[in-house]
Amino acid sequence: MSVMKTTRDVRGVGLSIPRPDGPEKVTGHVQYVADIKPKGLLHAKLLRSPHAHARIVRIDVSKARALPGVRAVLTAADIPELKRKAPTRAHAVLAIDRAVFAGQPVAAVAADEVAIAEEALDLIEVEYEILKAAVDPLDSMKPGAPPVADVGTEADTSEALAHSAVAMAKSEEATGKAVNVSQTAHVKRGDVAKGFAESDVVLEHTYRVPMVHQGYLEPHAVLAEWDTTGQLTLWASTQGSFNTRSEVADVLGIEENRIKVIPVECGGGFGGKIRALCEPITALLARATRRPVRYVMTRREELEAGMPAPQVIIRLKTGIKRDGTLMALEAESVLETGAFSGTVLAVAAVFLGSLYRWPAFDIKGSEVLTHKPSVAAYRAPVAPQTIFAIDSQMEHLAREIGVDPAEFRARHLSRPGEPMVNNQPWASMGAHEVLARAVEHPIWKKRAEWKASGGNGHGLRGTGLSLGGWLGGLQPTGATVKLNPDGTLAVLTGQVDIAGTNIALAQIAASAYGVDVEKVKITTGDTDVAPVTGLSAGSKTVYTVGVAVMQAAQDARQQTLAIAASELEAAVQDLEIVDGRVIVRGMPDKGVTLASIGKKGNLYMSKVQPVLGTARPAFTQQAPAFAAQLARIELDPDTGEVKLHDFVTVQDVGKAINPLAVEGQMQGGAVQSLGIALTEGLDYDGEGRLRNPSLLDYRKLTAADLPNLETIIVEVPSPAGPFGARGVGEPPIVPAPACIANAIHDATGRRLTELPLTPERIALALLER
Amino acid sequence: MAKQILSFTVNDEPVDVLVQPYVTLLDALREDLGLTGPKEGCGTGDCGACTVHLDGQPVASCLVLALQARGRSVRTIEGLARAGDLHPLQDAFVRHGVPQCGFCIPGVLMAAAAVLAETPKPTEEEIRYGIAGNLCRCTGYTKMIAAITEAAAQGATR
Repeated sequence: MSVMKTTRDVRGVGLSIPRPDGPEKVTGHVQYVADIKPKGLLHAKLLRSPHAHARIVRIDVSKARALPGVRAVLTAADIPELKRKAPTRAHAVLAIDRAVFAGQPVAAVAADEVAIAEEALDLIEVEYEILKAAVDPLDSMKPGAPPVADVGTEADTSEALAHSAVAMAKSEEATGKAVNVSQTAHVKRGDVAKGFAESDVVLEHTYRVPMVHQGYLEPHAVLAEWDTTGQLTLWASTQGSFNTRSEVADVLGIEENRIKVIPVECGGGFGGKIRALCEPITALLARATRRPVRYVMTRREELEAGMPAPQVIIRLKTGIKRDGTLMALEAESVLETGAFSGTVLAVAAVFLGSLYRWPAFDIKGSEVLTHKPSVAAYRAPVAPQTIFAIDSQMEHLAREIGVDPAEFRARHLSRPGEPMVNNQPWASMGAHEVLARAVEHPIWKKRAEWKASGGNGHGLRGTGLSLGGWLGGLQPTGATVKLNPDGTLAVLTGQVDIAGTNIALAQIAASAYGVDVEKVKITTGDTDVAPVTGLSAGSKTVYTVGVAVMQAAQDARQQTLAIAASELEAAVQDLEIVDGRVIVRGMPDKGVTLASIGKKGNLYMSKVQPVLGTARPAFTQQAPAFAAQLARIELDPDTGEVKLHDFVTVQDVGKAINPLAVEGQMQGGAVQSLGIALTEGLDYDGEGRLRNPSLLDYRKLTAADLPNLETIIVEVPSPAGPFGARGVGEPPIVPAPACIANAIHDATGRRLTELPLTPERIALALLER
Repeated sequence: MAKQILSFTVNDEPVDVLVQPYVTLLDALREDLGLTGPKEGCGTGDCGACTVHLDGQPVASCLVLALQARGRSVRTIEGLARAGDLHPLQDAFVRHGVPQCGFCIPGVLMAAAAVLAETPKPTEEEIRYGIAGNLCRCTGYTKMIAAITEAAAQGATR
């Protein structure tokens, strides 16, 4: 697929057009799942285990069932579909006889009112035998650790396949896996021992990033209703309605044709609303009561029993020559996956071993089960954590040998065509371009002046730079474009618009067909009517669904031109679409309106076929996308508090289909990245209970914590994306943790390796000699 | 528990509704009056998605009992604009492309409107602190600040 040029001056690709649902959102009229209230609605609540690991000795729900207003109380015993060995979190609808994380549901209630359901939970008696829990992932790998899975462990790599599409051979060292190790990976190249022996500088750090929660503002919510023929309808807050349908069908053991998933406006997902979570139990309560049942998680439940990002611990050892030559890299990464497998192990290896050109590397990765909620994707899964390690390390190495850290990165940064750790070549990417653009920024050029201006009544001042990105997701997908009888276009996909993708897709359709975007209506269909569409995840909505829409619009255009050619007695190649008419090039009077073509396709006894463009691409060309970030900070050496003065994101987006929406993605991603850097982390006690289960104690960044966020868009066209576009959502969440750590290093000379970079950690680091 | 009558003014209209004494103002607005613009993001007053005006002051309606609003005046996002039009803040939010997922937006707009009612020409810092009780996870706040600044410059004071 070549990069397609906009055929004429239509209002389409490249314009900053506000999304059309803006007025509905600013007036509060948009409906999310919790806003939908059908007749006869019941409210669900779940009783959750207070213990991270416990045997369920006895459950007595008789008092709860007797409470007026309670319509159903379910335990595992009431659900014959439950599998003793649940392959995924979604299958573990209710704990059968053992709870494996604090917050795991053990019983479910549907009642007339939320308050009655809550009262019913209090009436359920559960006797637990508390078991020793595996809380620390490193301890959990050791022999004798309490086993998390019932019968061995099983790797769930569907997340990796759906999200990142990084092919990687599985480790051959499956034999001898430790008790709670559910996946391993091992890649090596060259002679690492020799490389270290010949190095002048060998640096080793262990980087730690805690579990963090995606923090979408709308908690998980679902509404389920069965009709009398056994058809289930789910109104879901999901990032992918077809995936939700498949997972629920599998858990319930029914055909997908019996489930309709209606993707309701999604109040944020960031990876946390890909996998099914509370959909199966809500459907089961609806089946038991024969009433519509709505379940909305509380924020506490989200934090205690959502699907956060894994804790990542990376031991990283690197050796270089005094002249800056890279020699060897050795890494061991541990990804804590919680009670069920599901991390993206390969991403860590790719970024550790092949973002920079290490001649020798030896990289091991382990996914480890613990008695905590199982994890899921979070915007560029594992990339912020891995880039924190490798970019911090590159900065530290450059400082050790006294070279410019930006030049050091640029010298060793991989280029398209060079091999990744899995020996596949890097695809077209703009990592070099964003780095080059970042170092031109005044914040970087004036870093010495900024540092020198610190002290004398100011705090310590420093500047940070970092570079990270995302490999780009892929998934087959479909779209249709039809010409309406008035000459307008109707685009249908099944994609869920969280980020502003609908306006971008409409712009793509407009430019590919040849009408202004105002003539394009885009609809997200439910799973009954929409063509199969992939997840809104992996920075691939515009990249893949955009291609489907572009091709479907081109198909519709060709059909339109063919009809016009026969009416105008002209050749198709002599025709163009201008201002809603198909005309013969150079003869503006000789033409036929799109409306007349649309009408004839919808006219009684007409012989003109209706225009219906379709496309169903399944291409395999990835488009890695990189962002560089710059931070200018001031740090109080007494309190350790970091004040962010300036923050810049420079990002390669391939082609900004809608610059306004692209900026919004870059700014939002930057703040999530800064949150991981500075304040966020799920904090567990020794028994595996969450110590900060509220948004007061789990701190997310507010407007008062931040400066204005500058965005610089770089466009290195991708070969396969629509109009050269790349994925935009994920790259900006990647660099900031390393960026802030590098800025702190610049300001204080101290290298911090554990996130979040809290005032306490910084102040303690400054006290160390 | 017996329900009690709550008589108050909502978006300039007098309203009588029967509510349980333990119900929050947020639940009364959403479940009993069908005003689902205010959202529940946390239920503990930490996210600001439920922000409404109570006698002109911004409050987290998830922390106010419905009966505390007896005889008082409540304004929700549904009542921010004069009939038919967008409020200048809403208009600026649309043009600046602020809303992404949109879940925080009603609360942010009510907080911003309260800022402008108190301080018609706020500084950037006053705006940032004025909406610091409202979490947004999509936008990074930058476009919000620009939109609020622009609406203030155009004299949006309610």
